[in-house]
Amino acid sequence: MLVTGIKSKPVYAPLRADLGGRYHLMLGMGPGADALLRVLAEIQGSALPALQKTRVLLVPDAGAPLMTVPFDHLGLGLVSLFPDTASLLDAFRLVLGESLMGTRLYVAGPESFIGLAMKIALEFDLNKDEIRAEEVGTPARRVYCIHCRATTENVRTNVVSCAGCARWLLVRDHYSRRLAAYMGVMVDAEAPGELPPIKEVYL
Amino acid sequence: MNDAQTLAVEVAAVEQVTPLIKHFKLASADGGPLPAFSGGSHIIVVMRGAARMHRNPYSLLSSPRELDHYEIGVRRMEESRGGSHFMHDQVRVGSRLEIAHPVNLFALDKIARKHVLIAGGIGITPFLAQLEDLHDGAVPYELHYSVRSPEHAAFLTRLREREGEKVRMYYDSENQAVDFDGLLSKQPLGTHVYVCGPAGLINKVIATAKSCGWPDSHVHWEQFSAPPVGDAFDVFLSRSRLTVHVPHDQSLMESIEAAGVEVPYLCRGGVCGYCQTRVLELDGELKHYDHFLSDAEKAKGNSIMPCVSRARCKSLVLDL
Repeated sequence: MLVTGIKSKPVYAPLRADLGGRYHLMLGMGPGADALLRVLAEIQGSALPALQKTRVLLVPDAGAPLMTVPFDHLGLGLVSLFPDTASLLDAFRLVLGESLMGTRLYVAGPESFIGLAMKIALEFDLNKDEIRAEEVGTPARRVYCIHCRATTENVRTNVVSCAGCARWLLVRDHYSRRLAAYMGVMVDAEAPGELPPIKEVYL
Repeated sequence: MNDAQTLAVEVAAVEQVTPLIKHFKLASADGGPLPAFSGGSHIIVVMRGAARMHRNPYSLLSSPRELDHYEIGVRRMEESRGGSHFMHDQVRVGSRLEIAHPVNLFALDKIARKHVLIAGGIGITPFLAQLEDLHDGAVPYELHYSVRSPEHAAFLTRLREREGEKVRMYYDSENQAVDFDGLLSKQPLGTHVYVCGPAGLINKVIATAKSCGWPDSHVHWEQFSAPPVGDAFDVFLSRSRLTVHVPHDQSLMESIEAAGVEVPYLCRGGVCGYCQTRVLELDGELKHYDHFLSDAEKAKGNSIMPCVSRARCKSLVLDL
C-alpha cells in the first residue's frame, strides 16, 4: 500500500559547521542541544572570529532546569531559551527579519521541529546551501489531511484518525516542505471500515 | 541549435550610443511578432561575412513585453575575430540577419526578497530587460553601473528616465568604484546578486560575496567569452569519420561546423554547457576557456566545450 523511495522524504545528516558563513544561527530542541554544542565547538576551534556572530535559540528538554543548559561556558554571545516550539519559532521569524546574507542556519531536533523551522526559512528564501539539519529525537510526524486540510500532530502510527475530519488516513512518505507535513490519504475510501493493522512505526 | 531553427530579421534602426557601442533594433522579416522571452535572455546572431560565418551571443535589452522588435547592444572589440566588426561596419538599416531563438541563462530568481544588480560597461544590456520585470515594485532592487567615463555610459538616458536615482553610477575616470565589501556585507537574507561585465568585475563580485559568506546559489553572473585564438591543430571526429583542421584564429566549433558537422549549442560563449563533447583520445593538452566545467572536470580532460576551448596537441579525437 505504501510507496517506498519517495524523493520528497527529507534526508538529514549529522551537523557540521559551515565555516564559509559569517553568522551562525542555531535552533535546537531537547537533545538537539548536543548537536549544536558540537557545531559550536567546531566553530570555536576554527580560530575564526565567527563565534562572535553566533546566535542560539533553544527549547531545552522538558524538565531540565533552564539554566543548566551547558552553553554558557563556551563564552557565547546570545543564547535564548524558550518554553515551547511556538515561542521559539516566533522569535526565529524576528531574528531572520534582521539577519544578513552570510547567515547559516543549523537546526537540531525532532523532524516535526525541523520541518516547521524550514518552512519559515523558506519564506526568507534560504536555500539548501544555507541550511543544515540533524534529526534528533522522536520521528513522530505532522500529517496533513489531503481531504480536509487539517494537520494532525505527533503521529506515531502508520494509520491515524484525522484531527480535523476523523477520516482514517494512511501516512505516506510524501513530504511537503511548504506545509512541513507528510501527506495523509483516506485509507478506507474503497471499503469503508476496512482498515489495515494499525502499528506504531514512527517511534 | 542549428541554422534550420533560426529566425530571419531585418535591422530597423542603428544608433552609435557610445564611442564603442552600437545599438541595433531588429524586427521580424515577415513583420510578425518575435518569440516571447524573459529578462536576461540572449540571442545568437548569425553573420554571413565574406570570408567566414560568425555566430555571436548578444543579450536582449528591449522590454520582454514588446515583441514587435528585439534590441541588442554590440561593443566593438579591439581584438575581434570579426563578429563585432561585422556588426559595426557592415550592418545597417535594412540589413537582413538570422538569429537563434532567445535562451535565458541569466534569469532573475523568482523567489528572491531583494535583487542587487551590478553592471560593468556593455554588461548593462541583460539588466535593461530584467529591470522591466522589476518595475511593479514587489521586490526591492538596486542597480550599480560602472563605466570608464561618462561618454561610455551606454543607455544611461533610458535608465535615468525609467529608474531615476535608483541607478548608482561609477566612473573609472573619476576614480569611483563600487565598495563591494560594503555592499555585500549588509544585505538582508534572501538577497540575490547578479553581475555582468568584464572578467575582473565578475571575479571581484564572486570573491567578495564568498568572503561575506554568501552561498553560491545567491550569486549569479554571465560572461560570454569570445573564443580565444591559439595554436592551430587537427581534430578527428570519430562518428563522422572526418579530420578537421582548426586554424589559429577560428574556434573548434566553427571549424567543425565549416566541415558540415552540427554541434548542439545554446550560448557559444562557454556558459551553458550544451555543447559539451566527449574527448576520446588526446596526445597533448586541452585549453579549457569555458565557465561551465569545474576545475576537477577540466583536469580530468575527458570532455571539452568546443565553442570556446581549444587544444595544443598532436592528435585529438572527439565523439562527434
